[in-house]
Amino acid sequence: MLPNKNEESPPLNRAEALERVGDDESFLEELLTIYHEEFAEKSPALAEALANGDAKAVREIGHYLKGASANLSLPGLQAAAWTIEKSGAESKIEDAKAAYRVLLSEYERLKKFLGK
Amino acid sequence: MATLPSILIAEDDPISGRILERNLKSWGYEVAIAKNGNQAWEVLRGPTTRLALLDWMMPGAEGPELCRRIRALNKPGYTYIILLTSRDSTKDIIDGLEAGADDFMTKPVNFAELRARLQTGGRIIALEDKLLESQKRLFELATRDSLTGIWNRATILRFLEDEMAHCDRGGEYSLSLILIDVDYFKKINDTYGHQVGDKVLSKVTAILEKNIRPYDKVGRYGGDEFLIVLPNCSLYHVAVVAERLRSAVEKIKIRIEGESLNLSLSLGCASSECFRRPNSDRMIKESDGALYKAKQAGRNRVGLCAELKTPKDAGQIKDKESKDNKKKGTPRAPEQK
Repeated sequence: MLPNKNEESPPLNRAEALERVGDDESFLEELLTIYHEEFAEKSPALAEALANGDAKAVREIGHYLKGASANLSLPGLQAAAWTIEKSGAESKIEDAKAAYRVLLSEYERLKKFLGK
Repeated sequence: MATLPSILIAEDDPISGRILERNLKSWGYEVAIAKNGNQAWEVLRGPTTRLALLDWMMPGAEGPELCRRIRALNKPGYTYIILLTSRDSTKDIIDGLEAGADDFMTKPVNFAELRARLQTGGRIIALEDKLLESQKRLFELATRDSLTGIWNRATILRFLEDEMAHCDRGGEYSLSLILIDVDYFKKINDTYGHQVGDKVLSKVTAILEKNIRPYDKVGRYGGDEFLIVLPNCSLYHVAVVAERLRSAVEKIKIRIEGESLNLSLSLGCASSECFRRPNSDRMIKESDGALYKAKQAGRNRVGLCAELKTPKDAGQIKDKESKDNKKKGTPRAPEQK
């Protein structure tokens, strides 16, 4: 398993995220709820694509999660999703699988951070 | 404050879409949302969207593909497009711009920057609108008669040339012309002055426009001469139309300083069906000849081109028109051939 370099920093850069949503806490909460729903849908699809060696689907889901994570200033999740996208684009399924494990770990960290 | 143009957000990521929507609405934009490329295309091809934020990667059609389609569509009113993407290599930027995007922003978007870039897009759209408005005004000046607002001589002659091309294809198609002269117009001008003369021309114009079909074209051919081009119209039918015009003008009276001024028209008709090889010069010459005959015969009448037995046919047409009017109350356009 790849070392998770982001473990020391918070999984959510709240200040940056709030700036993007006009300092509206409730709107940020709404967006994080959407993120959880999206993650719950995309994560199993990604696991399936990795199991099937479907590099195109791996790249597309990685790209999607990277964008969603970047919008909410989730740096650890963004970095892991970027590696998944890149590995998918290069058909490096094993690298993508390793990055997926980091992604799941980062997601757990986010949930803990948010008290979910 | 000027109304901001409506803007399309095409973004399959609901988080990014929601943030963009909220910011744009707070800046005063009217926002349309598309969640994939196909939905985006339906909005883009319509007339209302002038600004668009397109995600590069989307299901259906991707951003650059949409850019290519909208540029190929060449719809009126320019659409200013900003591509949103996490791609930021020089090659990606070039590919996006070459596809037809106007601007390029990397995600996650910096909103202060986006707002400024949208303002740039708005300025370009406003400039284009001004340019189109100026072109429209210039077109009007170049093609319309300034007094009556109908087509000027050069333009009505161009319409005639264009319509003659249909005759060249042969078949049953007939094109007809009516050349019209306001009877005693010089006398009206000399007696009552040019302002009254102008009023007469405007009044006659209104009657001509009211009594022809929507696709007929009427233009001011000279001082008090009008030319009407009637596509897909036989000599018989043009004579019916001409008689209707004559009759309508004959009925009007213009009040000048307590006096009542009667008006009448002399009209000359020609149709392509009368000639083996019709051309615009011949058509005008023949309608001019028919007009001359109408004037020689005492004015306030319709003359037909020389190839027909004018007095008999004109009489029949006039009789028929009178009967029609009695039956139906008001004159109307004859059926096409």
